[in-house]
Amino acid sequence: MEYPDNGAYMVAAYVVAAVVIVGYAASLFYRIRKAAKR
Amino acid sequence: MTARVGGVITSVALVAFAGIYVRALMFTPIERFQGPAQKIFYVHAPMAWAALLAFAVTGILSLLYLIMRDRKLDTIAAASAEVGVAFAVVMLTTGPLWGKPVWGTWWSWDARLTSTLFIFLLFVGYQVLRGALHDPEIRARFAAVMGVMALVLVPFIHVTVYWFRTLHPEPVLMKPERPSLPGVMLVTLLSSVAVCTLLYVGFLLMRYSLAVLRDIREEEIVDGVS
Repeated sequence: MEYPDNGAYMVAAYVVAAVVIVGYAASLFYRIRKAAKR
Repeated sequence: MTARVGGVITSVALVAFAGIYVRALMFTPIERFQGPAQKIFYVHAPMAWAALLAFAVTGILSLLYLIMRDRKLDTIAAASAEVGVAFAVVMLTTGPLWGKPVWGTWWSWDARLTSTLFIFLLFVGYQVLRGALHDPEIRARFAAVMGVMALVLVPFIHVTVYWFRTLHPEPVLMKPERPSLPGVMLVTLLSSVAVCTLLYVGFLLMRYSLAVLRDIREEEIVDGVS
């Protein structure tokens, strides 16, 4: 079956979502560790 | 304790989020007319759900704070607002990445997209407001008023696709009729919604415990000075 050739948009969206979510999770882990150490 | 529970829930949710990627990319069929770009839906829609859930929680807790004046309500509301902004960043970046190949444009200033951008900017402003005010009482009161104002926008965003002419498709899940998706796609979408809700809970618990740790630290500094 022929599909529109737009896979690059899908890859970009999945990469952006992963970077933001994993980045935010990492920032929370880091900030809690830093606040708990003080 | 809350930080540890939040950390565990977040870790589990992140692994499940990776599982959603595998299911969506490898085990969910490609939609015939939209092509692979349609799979952005499995990330975009659940992130939008989580963002609006977070903003609604902030609004409701802000309203409760204005009635009960319980500091804890303000702390949870602030935590939820920050988490909501993170989800909204994903929603607002993946949306145009889906729109360009499917609608032929990155953005349209219609009611749904504009009101979504507006609520995002409102919550960015909420963070700026909280950062600018140092008196905890004034900060909580002003932020709560802003949170309640933003709460009105949440149901409005949902109904914009019915009330106005917009490029954005109508909901496939949150509507009176049965979901208009084939079974395998529906399972992927519902799993992603569940994982994003779990992520929200994990993030919220972690962000709340961070705020509590910071409050303890601030009180120690004040006690040390006096």
